[in-house]
Amino acid sequence: MPRATSKRKAPPSTSASVTSSDVVSTRPGKKGKKEVDKIGSLFDVYANKTLDMIDPEGIVSLCSHLGVDHTDVRILMLAWKMKAEKQGYFSREEWRRGLKDLNADTIAKLKKALPGLEKELMATSKFEDFYAFAFQYCLTEDRQKSVDIETVCELLSLVLGPKYRSQVDVLIKYLKVQSEYRALNADQWRHFYRFCKEISFPDLEDYDSDQAWPVIIDNLVEWMKENKQS
Amino acid sequence: MSNQKKRNFQIEAFKHRVVVDPKYADKTWKVLEHAIREIYNHNASGLSFEELYRNAYNMVLHKYGEKLYSGLVKTMTSHLKEISKCIEAAQGGMFLEEMNKLWTDHNKALQMIRDILMYMDRTYIPSTQKTPVHELGLNLWRDNIIHSSKIQTRLLNTLLELVLRERTGDVINRGLMRNIIKMLMDLGPSVYQEDFENPFLEVSAEFYKGESQKFIECCDCGDYLKKAERRLNEELERVTHYLDAKSEVKITNVVEKEMIANHMLRLVHMENSGLVNMLLDDKYEDLGRMYNLFRRVANGLSTIREVMTSHIRETGKQLVTDPERLKDPVEFVQRLLDEKDKYDSIIKLSFNNDKTFQNGLNSSFEYFINLNTRSPEFISLFVDDKLRKGLKGVSEEDVEVILDKVMMLFRYLQEKDVFEKYYKQHLAKRLLSGKTVSDDAERSLIVKLKTECGYQFTSKLEGMFTDMKTSQDTMQGFYASHPELGDGPTLTVQVLTTGSWPTQPSVTCNLPAEMSALCEKFRSYYLGTHTGRRLSWQTNMGTADIKATFGKGQKHELNVSTYQMCVLMLFNNADRLNYKEIEQATEIPALDLKRCLQSMACVKGKNVLRKEPMSKDICEDDTFLVNEKFTSKLYKVKIGTVVAQKESEPEKQETRQRVEEDRKPQIEAAIVRIMKSRRTLDHNNVISEVTKQLQSRFLANPTEIKKRIESLIEREFLERDGTDRKLYRYLA
Repeated sequence: MPRATSKRKAPPSTSASVTSSDVVSTRPGKKGKKEVDKIGSLFDVYANKTLDMIDPEGIVSLCSHLGVDHTDVRILMLAWKMKAEKQGYFSREEWRRGLKDLNADTIAKLKKALPGLEKELMATSKFEDFYAFAFQYCLTEDRQKSVDIETVCELLSLVLGPKYRSQVDVLIKYLKVQSEYRALNADQWRHFYRFCKEISFPDLEDYDSDQAWPVIIDNLVEWMKENKQS
Repeated sequence: MSNQKKRNFQIEAFKHRVVVDPKYADKTWKVLEHAIREIYNHNASGLSFEELYRNAYNMVLHKYGEKLYSGLVKTMTSHLKEISKCIEAAQGGMFLEEMNKLWTDHNKALQMIRDILMYMDRTYIPSTQKTPVHELGLNLWRDNIIHSSKIQTRLLNTLLELVLRERTGDVINRGLMRNIIKMLMDLGPSVYQEDFENPFLEVSAEFYKGESQKFIECCDCGDYLKKAERRLNEELERVTHYLDAKSEVKITNVVEKEMIANHMLRLVHMENSGLVNMLLDDKYEDLGRMYNLFRRVANGLSTIREVMTSHIRETGKQLVTDPERLKDPVEFVQRLLDEKDKYDSIIKLSFNNDKTFQNGLNSSFEYFINLNTRSPEFISLFVDDKLRKGLKGVSEEDVEVILDKVMMLFRYLQEKDVFEKYYKQHLAKRLLSGKTVSDDAERSLIVKLKTECGYQFTSKLEGMFTDMKTSQDTMQGFYASHPELGDGPTLTVQVLTTGSWPTQPSVTCNLPAEMSALCEKFRSYYLGTHTGRRLSWQTNMGTADIKATFGKGQKHELNVSTYQMCVLMLFNNADRLNYKEIEQATEIPALDLKRCLQSMACVKGKNVLRKEPMSKDICEDDTFLVNEKFTSKLYKVKIGTVVAQKESEPEKQETRQRVEEDRKPQIEAAIVRIMKSRRTLDHNNVISEVTKQLQSRFLANPTEIKKRIESLIEREFLERDGTDRKLYRYLA
């Protein structure tokens, strides 16, 4: 998954090998279900003991076990499922939430669930929610409202690319060429998706500048029209 | 008679039928018939009115009204047929004369006949609904004379012929015409209209069509209009003299249509004499005539107005885009004022102060003044020039007149905030150099701006005046508390409140020792009475008066800028200095230092310094010495220049940028105000409301407004509606 800012380096965690041996949880107050416990102990495998969270290193090893690159969009989707708040970290609650939803309590099951998750998101109305989440996930600092252009381009390619490859390519090209904006906010991000979804491409026939599109999209359309003529 | 009975007197009708002599009716009628003939033959004096009346009365009474009436008709008709022959026989001019005479006779006779037959008129006729005697007489005249085949056409042609002759310059018998026309009018409105008025109007239309065609080929616009006006007046006169008053409107319509409406555009656009030429040459009389004539026809005035407006726009556009004119801002603005004066006069003198024309003039000015983006700057420079020297010796009323004219130009500006920026800069320079001709005039203009734009516009300007006054008081206080400084150099400090004055970058400059000590004393004095404030010396804005003695002992007082003073004072301790040394000692920024040295070493008449080598530009290797041979006719020599000038390109860009930056918060404030009161509003309405609110200061760019909205969304003042993307919502 994309990392926009430098992460606090966490102390190296000991990555234990994964077996399916159950570790029985004896903590009172927890739900006594076996499944939940399995999820919890799976969490402990990757988590940083001091933080009680899975940190970036833990995520890297999780990814290698899942057989995906840590920049793969599926990890982002997983984060979405978990409703993860902080980029690069999963809390116990989030982990539990996500895995329970996917009915996965082992790595194998989790791996199997990933394609299903991908399909689920790409196909349905949940995509918009996921799309918005992707942006929010990049706002790492407190009160940060915008994300720099470089990161936005990567994110677009990752999230929107599979669905609208040609639009995204043009969009990224424009974003790199223009100099007016150095970072983009959530409103603009949201409109990229709408632009791809609603406007016919590449002729842009039904684009109406009276429809209160953000200025950056107006500029994009103008740039596209100019370059088409050349 | 021995009867004692009183008998009432009773009158009884005849018990037998009273038979009137059947021949009685005939006899009576014969008498009357004879009388009628005698009346027609002007022999009425021999008749007895009483007898005739009685006869007629008896006939009606004895039920012979029918015989009487039909007899009357027959007699009159046959008589009129004879008269008709007389009239037909008349030759040439006698035709109308004869008709007139016989008409008069007929009326007199009719009167008498009516009197005689009054009883029948009052009893028999109403009950049988026949035409009364008088009216009958008129109808019979009409049918037998006027509509007689031999007379009808001849009458009309004669009348029209006379009118034509009069129109071509002959004198005709107007009295006779009046009588004949009156006759037709008396015979009934339809007779007048069908037998005269309608053909008259048709023929007139033909006549004027021809005449207007002739004129338009050979006359210029002014002459044509004179002719048209004359014809119109003629027709009015004609109506007064011998036509029915109701014809006035109809005949004037004909003339207006043929002479004016049909040729309107050709007249207006006539080469060398049309409307535009009249405007250029201030032909008030011709323009007035055109206005009065054209207002009579549909679209007449709007045609004039359109041509005038587009002409003003064209000339105005040329004025503001002509590079020659733009070299001198004061001249430029004066030309604008002259144009306005010219057209104000025209509208007042020729166009009856017509408001629609005034509006056309205003919209044209507004259009072309804003074509040139430097107009706000130039208008401010014009005012600056006037307040510096132009108004010297001018009376108070005249000052007001000029300032009002400036305000009028100001109102046309779309970018009033740009004007404000320049005005502030120029005012600052005027105040600080003490170069204003009249404090009252300055104040008066500020008041006018306040009335026009509101308190906010002028609050900072007023702040500047206040600072000047306060500084004076501060200086007094300073010297009062430091009497020992009375002998040293005199310091005058103007303390400027940062927010009110145009922003200046702070600069480095090393003041000579005497000055810096004095300045420090002032600083501590000031901060002693005003804690919590910070003072920074604006050495780029000050001036100094220094006394200098040159080679042959000639003394002069030099009025210089602070920078120049710093440089000159160095020469108290050194005979020659090179550029680098001067730069090091004074720490004045390079560009300003070069300018300052140039003004003292390279300008004839102000060259208090000598430069080696003697080139025009200042180079880093140059050496400077005092010019011992300096001479000037005046004791006081002014070298420093702090006069407001037209900005250079880079300066202009900078000012423009600052204006744009200042506009952003204003736009945002407007957006927030509107959204706060409306709660939700769609995009297009936001744009139009914001533009309207800011109109009095500048014309807001829709794209810029959009950007501000996005910025406000980002900062979570607003949000977009979930379903309708065009709708914005205010977030409390």
